[in-house]
Amino acid sequence: MRLLEACIHTPLAKALGWSLAHFLWEGILIALALAVLLFLCGPGPARLRYALCCLAMLAMPVAFGLTLAVTLRAPHAAAVVAWPPRAPESSGEAQQGGAASPRPFTERVREALPWLVPFWMAGVLVFYLRSLGSWMAVQRLRRRGVCAASAAWQERLQRLRLRLQLSQGVVLLESCLVDVPVAIGFLRPAILMPVGLLMGLSTDQVESILIHELAHIRRRDYLVNLLQKFVECVLFYHPAVWWVSGVVRAERENCCDDVVVKLNGDARGYAAALATLEKNRWPAGEPAMAATGGSLMKRIHRLIQQPERPRTAAAPIFAVGLLVVSLGVAVGGWQGKAAQPLLNGRGSVSARPVPAATVSAEIPPARNLPVAPATASRPHTDRSASPLAPAQTEHLWGGPGVPLLAQAQAQEPVRKGGPLRAQLATPYQKWLTEDVAYIITDEERSAFKNLQTDPEREHFIEQFWLRRDPTPGTLENEFKQEHYRRIAYSNEHFASKIPGWKTDRGRIYITYGPPDEIESHPSGGKYERPAAEGGGTTSTFPFEQWRYRFIEGVGNNIIIEFVDPTMTGEYRMTMDPSEKDALRFVQPPSLPTAAKAGATVKVLGNGAALLAVPLAGYGDHKVNVLFRITSMTGRPVADFEDTVPGPVPSYTRFVSLPAGSYRFTVTLKDVTTGAVAKDDVSFEVK
Amino acid sequence: MAQKQPDPPRPTDAELEILTVLWSRGRSTVRDVHDAIALRKPTQYTTVLKTLQIMAEKGLVRRDEEQRAHIYEASRPREWTQSQLAADLLQRAFSGSAKSLLLGALSAHKVSREELAELRKFLEEYEKGTR
Repeated sequence: MRLLEACIHTPLAKALGWSLAHFLWEGILIALALAVLLFLCGPGPARLRYALCCLAMLAMPVAFGLTLAVTLRAPHAAAVVAWPPRAPESSGEAQQGGAASPRPFTERVREALPWLVPFWMAGVLVFYLRSLGSWMAVQRLRRRGVCAASAAWQERLQRLRLRLQLSQGVVLLESCLVDVPVAIGFLRPAILMPVGLLMGLSTDQVESILIHELAHIRRRDYLVNLLQKFVECVLFYHPAVWWVSGVVRAERENCCDDVVVKLNGDARGYAAALATLEKNRWPAGEPAMAATGGSLMKRIHRLIQQPERPRTAAAPIFAVGLLVVSLGVAVGGWQGKAAQPLLNGRGSVSARPVPAATVSAEIPPARNLPVAPATASRPHTDRSASPLAPAQTEHLWGGPGVPLLAQAQAQEPVRKGGPLRAQLATPYQKWLTEDVAYIITDEERSAFKNLQTDPEREHFIEQFWLRRDPTPGTLENEFKQEHYRRIAYSNEHFASKIPGWKTDRGRIYITYGPPDEIESHPSGGKYERPAAEGGGTTSTFPFEQWRYRFIEGVGNNIIIEFVDPTMTGEYRMTMDPSEKDALRFVQPPSLPTAAKAGATVKVLGNGAALLAVPLAGYGDHKVNVLFRITSMTGRPVADFEDTVPGPVPSYTRFVSLPAGSYRFTVTLKDVTTGAVAKDDVSFEVK
Repeated sequence: MAQKQPDPPRPTDAELEILTVLWSRGRSTVRDVHDAIALRKPTQYTTVLKTLQIMAEKGLVRRDEEQRAHIYEASRPREWTQSQLAADLLQRAFSGSAKSLLLGALSAHKVSREELAELRKFLEEYEKGTR
């Protein structure tokens, strides 16, 4: 106790005590300045916001250190800083928030302050030990329960790494201990993926997540995060520190999100990937947990740039006014009473907004876009202007939502034959809609549509084939050769009144290659109906059955049937109920869906699904068929209505859907008898 | 499948690594497991084989002896083992705060189910808006 008391009375302890007390308001002021500046930036570039947050984070220990140095350097001041008891009005009261009370109170405060120090030290120690423990736990995470991801993925990671211009080597590990993908380490960084995720998500989704993690590594976020921890530990007692730290973390994620969107150009796809990832964290049957602030929701909103509440122009002005006034009050209050030396310490604080303000003037160059001044309301004004000049806004948009919005814009004019068609003219348009229509991914398609110049498109096409080259490094690209051979084959063999590549057979042939077996009945004829279908014989339209021993992502022993009900040579893909037994092997048991009264869905790769309903039972009655696809929330996705003049074995429809869960509802109405039959099936497109 | 066996013991670090491979790659032969592990560190084939045999005895993995090359698969899902491992002191004490050191694509906290549903709805509606 005596020892402690001796310590307490050292000048250092006194200075520390005062610094701790002063930091209370310093911290608040920094946080306030940051809040105002962030408000002024609005949803501006994440990098700017992040820089501001980091500055604030840095300003905190600097302010604390300066205060300490100043109080130490002037040992007299240490006493004086502490407001000589004789002073008529001591600023100590103002800072302690105490009311103007008789002298003994300030005296007591002055006496008591150094006693804060041991408590503070104990706190710092606790926080450090905790950080050390977590750091050790993280180090173990890297060694324990991990295995290297497959070579294909490692290779993909390296390619992404090069695209991000990251020279540092990165290891990709699968871990059974993490439940979300994480990046660890700064000297030998590693990305840990939860086991099974590489398989569970689509390639593009995994890639976007990998880009996010690589962006963390490139930005050395791990190191920054450690430093941030250090500050948190020292100034743990101030809520403002935790708040700023939290904002830094959030903005950091935003920065990485921006990198992803910039690189693969599909904000929506990425947002969906994040949502899927979050969903995968829920093992089935786990009870719901309390909400945790919805940071993911915010990020996704941001990614998609949902317009927020429109901000009036008055708001920023008001904010600036508030900042100026509060600073003025603070400074004025200070100069009025404070001890001279401390002014330096405070100077560092109030200086903060100045450089920051100059930074904010540089927003447009940072986004390297020729945009008007970056005001808080920029995205909104652009948005409101967009219907007038879609092509133009596409250039103008600087926000992270660019590619997505541009895509949304792009789709419209294409449909209407608007200005964009001219942009994506001829060879490139044809390349997209004909050459690679079946094999290009949605992400690639939207990225391609966003390209502005022909050299970019050329480069994209080159990369597109390069990514698929089974033997990179050789001159030949077997994939490309085979692809064009398939197109040529389709055009030669499957053409009717529409070009061969556009037919169902062409589509299947181009997507999956030549089948292992073809059984062809070009003239239809007698067909032995299996007993399950009622037996007997029936006549059929011309039909073909293709058998694939194996299709990657779909399954083994796939039989696809094509029927030519119009007798024009245009075979349409069907799913004859008599093939059900064979189709049972088509998918792993999780994918297929049980048919109740005959409606079936076969999910093929690439988001394609084949909807079918048997009509054999209707004989030569006319049947009204209504197919409806809704999302699981009941939102209609697609409707098909058709009247079938029997007799046909079945009615099928081929649809292409984005990944998700859907419900397929069939309504059959026998026009002759008026009987109505219904059925529904839910299915999932991966 | 056989009746419910008693719970296997907590896996050692080496065993955990093999389990991770099995969870990641699914049913595998010893050769596959060895190849996967050798990607990261030099390991003898026989070491992997022996470890897998011990694990089979412990009930951590199941062995399919129908084919010539024995095929192993993890007997418990990842989640179960993960909860077993939570008994590990270091893991338990610090996994919470360790998360703040990790740079993940998602925050350390799970989103509630309601939020998740809201999120999906939002994305769907957004999509509807652009189509």
